[in-house]
Order: sequence, then C-alpha cells, then structure tokens
Amino acid sequence: MSSPAVATGDLTKQYRETLALDAVSLSVRRGSVYGLVGPNGAGKTTLLGILSGLRRQTAGTFSVDAARIGVLSDTPSFDSWLTAHEVVDLSRSLNAPDTEDAAVDHVLHLTGLSDVARRKVGGFSRGMLQRLGLAAAVVGEPDVLLLDEPAAALDPAGRREVLDMITALRGTSTVVFSSHILDDVQQVCDTVGILKAGQIVYEGTLAELVRNTGHDAAYHVRIRGSGDGLVGVLRSCEWTTGVELDGDVITVSASSAPVLERELMRCLARADVPIVSVAPIERSLEDVFLEVTQ
Amino acid sequence: MTLWRLEVTRLIRSYRIWILVGIFGFFGVLGPLTARFLPEIVDRLGGGAEITVPDATPELAMAQYLGNALQLGLLAIAFVAALALAFDAKPEMAAFLRTRATIPQILTPRYVLNMAASAGSFLLASAVAFVVTAVMIDVPNVGGTIVGSMLVGLYICFAIALTGLFASVVRGVPGTALLTIGALILLSIVGLLPAVGPWLPSDLVGSYDALIAGGDFVYWRAVATALVLSGAAIAVSVHRMEHREV
Repeated sequence: MSSPAVATGDLTKQYRETLALDAVSLSVRRGSVYGLVGPNGAGKTTLLGILSGLRRQTAGTFSVDAARIGVLSDTPSFDSWLTAHEVVDLSRSLNAPDTEDAAVDHVLHLTGLSDVARRKVGGFSRGMLQRLGLAAAVVGEPDVLLLDEPAAALDPAGRREVLDMITALRGTSTVVFSSHILDDVQQVCDTVGILKAGQIVYEGTLAELVRNTGHDAAYHVRIRGSGDGLVGVLRSCEWTTGVELDGDVITVSASSAPVLERELMRCLARADVPIVSVAPIERSLEDVFLEVTQ
Repeated sequence: MTLWRLEVTRLIRSYRIWILVGIFGFFGVLGPLTARFLPEIVDRLGGGAEITVPDATPELAMAQYLGNALQLGLLAIAFVAALALAFDAKPEMAAFLRTRATIPQILTPRYVLNMAASAGSFLLASAVAFVVTAVMIDVPNVGGTIVGSMLVGLYICFAIALTGLFASVVRGVPGTALLTIGALILLSIVGLLPAVGPWLPSDLVGSYDALIAGGDFVYWRAVATALVLSGAAIAVSVHRMEHREV
C-alpha cells in the first residue's frame, strides 16, 4: 500500500485562548478525494491553511507528499487590473513553469471562463472569482489539491461543473476539500473527515459513516385500520427498542438491523393486521452529520 | 506572466508609475519657473508691500524643485511602495502568491521595480528641472546635479526599504505608508543633531542643494548608513514575512 499523499499526526493549533485544532490525525490516500466537513469554526480552514503552508501548527506533524500543490482559498481574490488569462498564466508560471501555455486556455475552458479570459477580473462576480481560483489551482495538474469551499459561491449549474471537475481529477490528483454542503461531499468524496471543535470525530467512507454511527435501525410500517393491537404485540417483543404509532404509521426500532429485518417480518406475519407498506428508514448524511457534530 | 512582469503591469495599469512621474515632473517644471518668476509673483501677491526676494539662480531653481517635489513625492512613494510591499493586507491575494512562490521571490521584483520607478521618476524630473533651469535662468552645476540626484535617489531607495520593513510589522497599506513617513520625519529631526546628522540617510537630501552649489562631497557616512540600513530593513522584512501567518 502506497504512503498517504497527505497525513497529519496530532496536529494542534492554538490561537491565544482558542484551540482551533486539537491533535488532528488524518490520512489521505493518494489519488482519492477527501472531504473535510464540519460546522462553522470547526477548524477546516485552519487545517487547510497549515497544509498549504500559510499557517504554522502549534504542535504535531504533517506531510504533503507532492511535487506540485494547488491551493484554492475560500474567497479567492486577485489584482483587479489583471485579466483572467493573466491570473491563470501567473499561477502556471509559478506552479508549473514547464507546462505549456495552452494549459491556461484549457483550464479556463474547463471552468467556463473562456469567454471572459481577456477581461480584467475587477468586474468579476464572486462565483466567477471562485471559478478563476479553481482554474489557477488546477493549472499544471498538481499532485495535491487543497480546496477550501470550492463550490460555496456558485449557482447550482456552476457547482455541478466544479464537482464534475473534482470527480475527473480522482486518480490523477489527490484532492482535499472542505465544505459545509454535505450533498457536494456525498457526490464526490471517497473518504470524509468530520471536524468538530478542532477534533476529528470521524474519518472513513461515507457508507461506513452512515452504517456505523451508533444509532438504532428503524422501519416504518404503514397499516390500514387501527394499529393499537400491532403496537401492543411489537412492544412485547424483546428485540424492539422503540415502537411509536403516528396515525397509520408505526415506527419500529431495534438495536440491530439484521435482527429487526428478520423479526419484524415474523411479527407482522403473525399479526392479523392489513399491511400497506414496510420500509426501512434511510438516514441521510445530514442526519448522521448532525448526530456526530452535535 | 512572471512576478517581474506582474510588478511592471501593476505599476502601469494601476497608474502608479504615472502618478510618480507626474508629481516629480510637475515640480521639475514648476521649481525653476517659480524661481525665475518669483519677483513677479511676489509683486502681484504682495499688495503693495515691499518684499525682497533673492535673485533667480540655478541653485535656487534646483532647490525649489527638490524642496517641493520631495514633500509630496515621498508621500506618494511611501503609498505606492506600501501598495506593493504590504501584500498581506488582503489575505486572499496573499494566499494566492504565498502558496506558489517564496517570500524572496515575491519581494525581490517589488523592491527592485518600485525603487527603480520611484528613484527613476525623481532622476527624470531632476533632468527636466535641469533643462528648464538652463533655459530659463542659467546652466546649473552638472556634476553636482548628477551626484546630488543619485544621492537623493539612494535616499528614496532607503525610504522604500523602510516601507518594506513596516509592511512586515503591520498589515495595512495606510499604516505601512504612515509609519514610513513618520520614521523619515523622525530621522530628519534626529539628523539635526550635529553629532549624528552626517551619519543619517536624511543627510543625503541636503546633499542635492549643497553639491549643486559647489560644495564638497562629504556624504560617505550617510551613503554607507543608507546602504547598510536598507539592506538590513529588507533582510528583516523578508525574515518577518516568511514567519508571518496569513
């Protein structure tokens, strides 16, 4: 197994009274897309700032194993008198001087800025600046990309394009990106790290996160007619951890999903009640995120 | 686009080079003109009162240029240099540069080209003042004008090095520029002390008039101090900026 492209060990950052990062240890697999999520003030920007060399850690270690690193700050800003082409070309000449000039036009095209490539950036909207920042970050195909909220200021179409770009980088670049938009994370990330008050409270795949977060498995059972009898039967079963009736829907919980799936059907078969539907309650990433971070 | 070309583009597109050339050029013409027509000006504004004014001489014309140009010129130089050197004032812009280049790579073109633009503007305007003086009054001391201009040019470079130092102490552009102006004024006041005056860079400003008037070159100490302090200010600014977080 290859060494991680980005790794931190007990990384700590203290700002006077505030502990921004508290012994953060994470590992980002080479070629993967790693989502750093967490509520505002969790330490995402501080962590990316340290990884990109803009801030220094108070304690701990980190490594970014890359010849070229592309960085996008959360609110990119450029000299207003430069054109979009000049901004990306400056980034190319600094980050990847051996890359051909044509790469500049290529990334401007990818980010949808070809039409305004010769316009000065002073009049650009925040969304356009974000696209430009992304173009400047990806030009020269960096080995590691550190993106702070890359899609935050974009409209839905722009966000889709940016997420597609990030997805396309998988395998060639290692991408670490922070976001508070869980849907974005869900769409493009292999692995997530959830930061809460400066600590990593979860690191792993999204599927594992949803599956393993310590919460009861639950089903909705929709019935026709009175459900009181069935509720009584279910409550008497020792494997249930919760049975709630709300109108014609009974919510049945158990500590184990396999037990629930097996026993619930037996119970329903025994009960003489018309069943309309039986469906598992899918927990969204947002539910899990809120559960983990609150 | 390289960092050198970025700096040239900044000076041109943000009109900063034209501001410097305009200010110094304006006084390069105005200084000799006011010296030449001072009696007439005083006569018109005097309201009948009898005021004695010195005769128009090349020395007076060049002194008028320096006196007027350097006051406003140093203010402009400090702000123009601060706009380039205090690049941490906007953290997002600083992040773009700092994650792609080292601090010496970022600062070198900014120091060199701002010094060249500022000192060059002064030297150019000094040449203009020389020509206007020669046409309107008489030819000033050529050697004194050249050496005096170069010494003031060195003082301007020192002022920019000082701006860089303050840019590494505070982040804002106004703060950087005002600290620079304050430090230059303080140095001028300290320079009034006979024991330390000849050692201070502010002594270079006085060399202009004195050398054009035919005075001896006695400015080695001020030159040495300006060079040493400029180098030290630049080195400290690089060190501080390398260790500053954005």
